[in-house]
Amino acid sequence: MATRIPFGPQHPALKEPINFMCEVSDEKVLSVRPRLGYIHRGVEKLAENRTYNQNLYLIERICGICAFAHVTCFSQAVEEILNIEIPSRAKYIRTILAEMERIQNHFLWLGDVGHEMGFNTLFMYSWRDRELVLQLIENISGKRVNYAMNTIGGVRRDITSMIMPSLKEGLNHLEERAKYYTEMCTKDPTVLRRTVGVGMLSPSDALELCAVGPTIRASGIPRDVRADDPYAAYEEIPFKVITYDGRDVASRLMVRLDEVLESISIIRYALDNLPNGDVRVRVPRRVPKGEAVSLVEAPRGEDLHYVRADGTEKPVRVKVRAPTLANIPTLCKMLIGENIADIPVVIAGIDPCIACAERLVFVDTATRKRWMWNKQELRKYATKWYRKK
Amino acid sequence: MVPQEIVTLLQVFLFPGFLFLFCLAFFSDWMDRKLVAKFQNRYGPLYTGPKGILQPVADFFKLLAKEDIIPIAADKTVFSVVPMLVLALSMTPLFLIPMIDYSALIWFEGDLIVIMFITTLVIVAMFMGAWASTNRFSTIGGMRVGLQMLGYEIPMTIAMIGPAISSKSLSVSGIVQSQAVGIWYVITQPLGFAVALICLLAHLQRVPFDVPEAESEIVAGWLVEFSGKKLALLKLSKNFELVLAGSLLVSLFLGGPLGFWLPHPSVYFFLKLIVCIFILSNLRALFARFRIDQVLEGAWKYLTPLALLQIILVVI
Amino acid sequence: MKFTKGRLLEKAKEISTPRARRMSMTINKTDFRKSMKKLVDSEGFKHLSTITGIDVGPKIELIYHLTRENLVLSLKVKTSKKNPVLPSIVNLIPGAVLYEREVHDLLGVTFKGNLDLSPLLLPDGWPSDVYPMRKEWAPQDIRKAMEKP
Repeated sequence: MATRIPFGPQHPALKEPINFMCEVSDEKVLSVRPRLGYIHRGVEKLAENRTYNQNLYLIERICGICAFAHVTCFSQAVEEILNIEIPSRAKYIRTILAEMERIQNHFLWLGDVGHEMGFNTLFMYSWRDRELVLQLIENISGKRVNYAMNTIGGVRRDITSMIMPSLKEGLNHLEERAKYYTEMCTKDPTVLRRTVGVGMLSPSDALELCAVGPTIRASGIPRDVRADDPYAAYEEIPFKVITYDGRDVASRLMVRLDEVLESISIIRYALDNLPNGDVRVRVPRRVPKGEAVSLVEAPRGEDLHYVRADGTEKPVRVKVRAPTLANIPTLCKMLIGENIADIPVVIAGIDPCIACAERLVFVDTATRKRWMWNKQELRKYATKWYRKK
Repeated sequence: MVPQEIVTLLQVFLFPGFLFLFCLAFFSDWMDRKLVAKFQNRYGPLYTGPKGILQPVADFFKLLAKEDIIPIAADKTVFSVVPMLVLALSMTPLFLIPMIDYSALIWFEGDLIVIMFITTLVIVAMFMGAWASTNRFSTIGGMRVGLQMLGYEIPMTIAMIGPAISSKSLSVSGIVQSQAVGIWYVITQPLGFAVALICLLAHLQRVPFDVPEAESEIVAGWLVEFSGKKLALLKLSKNFELVLAGSLLVSLFLGGPLGFWLPHPSVYFFLKLIVCIFILSNLRALFARFRIDQVLEGAWKYLTPLALLQIILVVI
Repeated sequence: MKFTKGRLLEKAKEISTPRARRMSMTINKTDFRKSMKKLVDSEGFKHLSTITGIDVGPKIELIYHLTRENLVLSLKVKTSKKNPVLPSIVNLIPGAVLYEREVHDLLGVTFKGNLDLSPLLLPDGWPSDVYPMRKEWAPQDIRKAMEKP
C-alpha cells in the first residue's frame, strides 16, 4: 500500500518552504512531485520597475548565501551591454569574494548535511568555522552577508594591504579545518554509512536532466562555469575542476570539501598577484539597447542571468535562473527508490536554496518592515556615528 | 522512636523515593545537556539557577503550562492515557534498584525479569501512543519504535542475564550483593557491558539510534502530536529512562552502591551514575544517526552474537 | 570554437556573436521543433540552462539558453500572444520540464507534449487569465487580481 507523505512546505529538515509529495511504500519512495512557489517575491517583475542601480541591491537579496554570485552575474550582464571592461584589480577582488562565498557556503552546507544525518556535533563545529570566513568577509566588505561589494563597473571597496595579513592567517586556519573535515568524512563510519551509495545519480541522467554544480561534478562530469566560460579573473588563475565518480551523497560531500581547499588556493594566488589600479570605472545611468547572457559558477552551480535593455534607466527583462531550480528535476530522480530516512540527506545533498529558485511573480507592495528609526533618524544616527569615529 | 510505617512512607515519597527520583531525573537531564553542549563546542543551559542547573525543571513547568492539543482524529482515551502510562512504567523499575543500600526499597527474587518486562512495556505504550495520534509521521515513528525494539531487545536481555548467571540471583539487589564479595562484573564481562550499553542507548532512542524520532526525517516521530502537559510527562519519563539506564549499568556491572571510604553508599552510586551518563552522552555526541535497516542489521549481526558469546564465556 | 554560421542551422536569422563564447539566433516557429532536434542530436547542445520568456508587445518571445562546452547559444523563437502554443522539448531535453512549467505559469505559453503543466510557482486558485510576467500586468494590478476573490 502506498502512502503519500508530504515533505514540506513546513518540515524541520527544510530550512525553507518547498513541497515534495512523496509516494511511499514500505519506507521506499515510489514517486516524487515537487511544488514550488511558497516564497515567491516577484524579484523579476520588480526588477523591471527599478533602475539598474536599485536592481543591484534587489538582486543581492535574492539569496543570503550566494548573494555575491547573483550580483556578479547581474553586473557582468549589464557591463556587457554597456560594453565596458572593468579594471583587473576589480576582477581579482570579485574572484576573491566569490571564492570566500563558496567556502562559507560549503561549510554551511556541511553542517546542514550533518544535521540531516543526525550528526549535530558536525553541524556545531562547521558552523563555528564558517563564522571565521564571515569575519574575513566582514573585514573586506564591512558586512557578513549581502556584502554590497559589487557595482556596475567594478567593486565598491578595495582590499588594502592593511587587512592582507589577517586574511592570510584566516586562510591558513580554514585550510587546517577543511583538511580535518575531509579526514573525518572519509573515516567516520556512521557518516559513511549514511552517505555512500545514497542518492545515486548516473552521469547520463545528470546530463539529460541538466544538473549543475557540485551535483553533476560528483557524477564525474567536469562542468564548471569557471573553467568553461571564465569570468572575472578565472582565466588567469590556475585551478582544478574537482570531480568524483561516486555519484552519491558521499561524493558530493567530497567534491565540496575539496572545492574549499581549491578555493583557498585560488584566494591565495589572487591575493599574491593582486594587480594595482582602480577598482571601478564610472558608468552611465542609461544602458543602451542590447541584451546579454551572463553565467557565474555560484557555490551551488551554474547561475544564469539574462538582461535586456532598451536605452532607458530600467531593464526590459531580467531573467534569473538559480542553480537550485536546475537541480530539482535531478533531485526528484535521485529520490526514487530511496529510503524515507534518506530523503533529507539526499535533498540536502544538492544544497537546495529555495529562496534562490523562487523569485518570481508575487508582488507584495505592502511593506511590513518595522524600523527602529525612520529614514531621517537613521541618517542622523549615521552622521553622528561617523563624526565620533 | 518513629514508627516503621512512617519511615517506609518517608522512604517511598522522599528519599530514595519519588522526590529523590525527580531530582535525579532533572539532574541527569541537565548533566546530559551540559555535557553534549560541551562536546559540541556550545554552552548549554546557562541562566536558570547556577550554571543552568534548574533549566530542566523550568522546561518541565513551562511545558505543563502550555496548551494541550488533542488531534480530532486521535483515539482520545489511549492518547491521553499513554503519557501517564509511559511515565509510570519508566519510574517503577527505579524502585527495584538499590541506590542507598545493598538492597533496594522493594526487592524480591526475579525483579530483574520484572525490570526487563517493564522496559518492553514502555515501548509498547509508545507504539500505542504513536498509533493513537493518527499522524503519518507518528505512524512511521511508531513502526520504527517497534522495529528498533525487535533489534536491540534480545541482545540487551542476554547481556543482562550474564551477571544474573554469575551471581546465581535473578534480583538486582542479589547481583549487587554478590559483587560486594566478588569483583565487579564489568571486569569479568566487558563484552556484556558494551552490548548492554549500546542496547540501552537504543532503548533511550538517542543518537545514533534516535531513528523513531529522527527530527530531520519524520519531524518528531512518535512524539509529534503530543503537546503541553502530555509532552512534559513524556519528556520527564525520558529522563527517568536515562536514570534507569545508568542505574542498571551501575548495579549490574559496576557494583552498585559499593565502596570503602565514603560516608554513605548513595554517594558511590551517584558518582558511578554520573560516569555512566557521561559515557552515554559522549556516544550521543560522536555519531550520525543510523537508518532503521542498519540498526536492525547491526543488532542481529553483531550485538546478539556478542552477547551470546559473553554468556558462553560466563557459563564456562 | 570555429564554425560557419550556416552549418549550425540553415534557417536561422539574425545571427550574431556579441562576444567570445556567445551566440544568438532567431528561428521561425514552424522550424522550431526540427531545429531544436538538430541542435541537440547532432550539434551537441545537451544542456539547457533555462528558458526566458519576454513579452514583446503583440508577441511573446522565448529564448532557449543552450550550452555546449565553449558556447552559449540563445535560440529565440516568437509566438503570438493570442494563442501562444509551442511544441515541448521535454522528450529531447528532459531537464526542460520545470522551465516549461515556469513559462507556462508566468506567460501563459502552452507547450504541446509536456504532460504536466499544472501550476509550479503560482499558488492554487490563481485567476486563470492573469499571467504576471506579461507587460499589461503592472505590479499593483496583480495585487488587485489576487485579492479579488
